[in-house]
Amino acid sequence: MTSAQVQINLPLPVLPAGWTAEKDFKPVGSLSHAIDRNIEPVGPHFLAHARRKRHKRTFSEDDR
Amino acid sequence: MSAENDPAQRVAIGISFGNSYSSIGFTTGEGRAEVIANEDGDRQIPSVLSYVEGEELHGGQAKTQFVRNAKNTVAYFRDFLGQEFKSIDATPCHESAHPLQHESTIAFKVKDSAEDEENEVTVSDITTRHLKRLRNSAAYYLGKEVNAAVITVPTNFSDAQKEALNKAAKEAGIEVLQFIHEPVAAVLAYDARPEAKLADKIVVVADLGGTRSDVAVVASRGGIYTILATLHDYEVTGLKLDQVLIDYFAKEFLKKHKSASDPREDARGLAKLKLECESVKKALSIGTSANFSVESLVGGIDYTATINRTRYDLLGNKLFSAFSRLVLHAVEKAQLDPLDITEVILAGGNAHTPKIASTIANAFPETTTVLAPSTSTTAINPSELSVRGASIQASLIQEFELEDIEQSTHPMVTVTPHLSHAVGVLCISGDETNGVFHAIVDAETPLPVRRTAIISTPREGGDVLIKLAEGLRHIKVTKPEPKAKKEKAEDDSDDSDDDESDEEEELREKTWKVSNVLSEAAIKGVKKGGKVEVQINIGADLGVNAIYREVGGKGGVRGIIAGEKAANGSA
Ligand SMILES: Nc1ncnc2c1ncn2[C@@H]1O[C@H](COP(=O)(O)OP(=O)(O)OP(=O)(O)O)[C@@H](O)[C@H]1O
Ligand SMILES: [Mg+2]
Repeated sequence: MTSAQVQINLPLPVLPAGWTAEKDFKPVGSLSHAIDRNIEPVGPHFLAHARRKRHKRTFSEDDR
Repeated sequence: MSAENDPAQRVAIGISFGNSYSSIGFTTGEGRAEVIANEDGDRQIPSVLSYVEGEELHGGQAKTQFVRNAKNTVAYFRDFLGQEFKSIDATPCHESAHPLQHESTIAFKVKDSAEDEENEVTVSDITTRHLKRLRNSAAYYLGKEVNAAVITVPTNFSDAQKEALNKAAKEAGIEVLQFIHEPVAAVLAYDARPEAKLADKIVVVADLGGTRSDVAVVASRGGIYTILATLHDYEVTGLKLDQVLIDYFAKEFLKKHKSASDPREDARGLAKLKLECESVKKALSIGTSANFSVESLVGGIDYTATINRTRYDLLGNKLFSAFSRLVLHAVEKAQLDPLDITEVILAGGNAHTPKIASTIANAFPETTTVLAPSTSTTAINPSELSVRGASIQASLIQEFELEDIEQSTHPMVTVTPHLSHAVGVLCISGDETNGVFHAIVDAETPLPVRRTAIISTPREGGDVLIKLAEGLRHIKVTKPEPKAKKEKAEDDSDDSDDDESDEEEELREKTWKVSNVLSEAAIKGVKKGGKVEVQINIGADLGVNAIYREVGGKGGVRGIIAGEKAANGSA
């Protein structure tokens, strides 16, 4: 099982005329603070999480 | 390393140990969880021990001893483990051996040997004996020694309680690989089914047992579970439902036998009523009527009667509503709305009761799936959810070193930052007030996370804007148009107290408000009918790494949004 893929059927907006950005990307803000919570150490997906965290691996390293 | 602590030598089972019933299970070679029937053929094994002339009876056989041998019958003891005498509620033990203070712990005074003397048996020892019986039943069924287990516990089981249970299990020859929370075991039992899809959802688990009801609100994100709120109630319970039936049949009995004494005031009469009423309650979960039949209920009078489900539904009405209020209260405690709840999993024995399931289902919108035998054909037996989850977890970890398991369950690994708001894209319009927000990663998702979305583009394709933003879930309430008063007064003049229900219900919907724009990106020259793929990686430091590309197209756009700390630092 891979990470869930979200299907969005509403169309993206048309790019406004005159919109420009270096390499077509423009950061605007940043994420609100996160909340620390305890995840339950149960199930196959937790085990994958624990492996990544204990071995400081990323998702893509995990994929290999 | 001793043989039984060697992962290679382990035979691990799942155990659900309740105050009322316990269950044992294992996972087959094909990865299917199975619940084991004991020698009596029971899969819900009463957590009861009884001593008759030195012989130990267990489970269903012990339970029948409530009638003749109540004083030497021990029941409803799990929650006493690791507790002080002064902090326990002994009410459920009124009709069996009473708990008493024993040094710093709790014991039961029973004649548990062939001699005619009473011994004080601690709750730890009783638990050990109970677990030994469960272990033996499992070993008998599996045809090999069992030496390890995953055991489920309530979410409010203290460290002292877990420690006491761990010790008692060890004494019974069981190495506890892990304690897992009952509601999480229930979610896992459902998620482990082959047809289950990995989806982000908010699940409420309502575990309706004999002596307690426990509700947990769980965020399930990519198969990882986070408990958002819990609630525990010791009043709205299965035993209370039994009491409703006990009172009903006692009164019916007294109506018929005017000179007889009240069976509830006779120890044996009450014990018989209790056992029979629990059976009647269970029968009413499947049938539309059930028979009550007790020999010599009181004063040598046999009594038989029937009850139909409609009557029962009426009698239990107040309690049924109370169950539903508990569930709603837990949702409120999680600061969520019923519209946020994807699924309600009904667990515990009383979840079999159709009216409980339908009352709870009525408290939620149609978009919420209520998983109980009477509301869903795909529901798993609610009495088996805990043990199934435990069995699956046991098979997942049984090859690990205990030290490895301990490290993985340490807060260093489990305490994780969770997103406070959903992150998604604006559709249709890039203007925050007109655009429609669509979440890609939901709030309460643990970090780091990686998600991919496939998004449609305008009919003709072309250049598109991808605006990432945080969305706030908003409940939009639409009040119905007030009806013309006169009209109403005319057509229903004869029902007086009904105007409330005549009013149309307000319409409640889940919508989004864009709260915080994160970034803008462009994909140019999308072909007609093309789709855009957006992959979002959010790190534990709240840094976002996004990749945008046309599905099947070349190249793409990459963007980095610095995490809060970094952003503040550079400002
Ligand atoms: N088929 C059924 N229909 C209705 N009620 C049932 C059914 N089966 C079991 N019950 C009731 O469920 C309760 C037991 O629930 P469960 O098996 O979840 O026990 P438990 O977790 O040991 O309970 P607790 O720890 O709260 O005492 C009892 O009140 C029992 O009468
Ligand atoms: Mg229970």
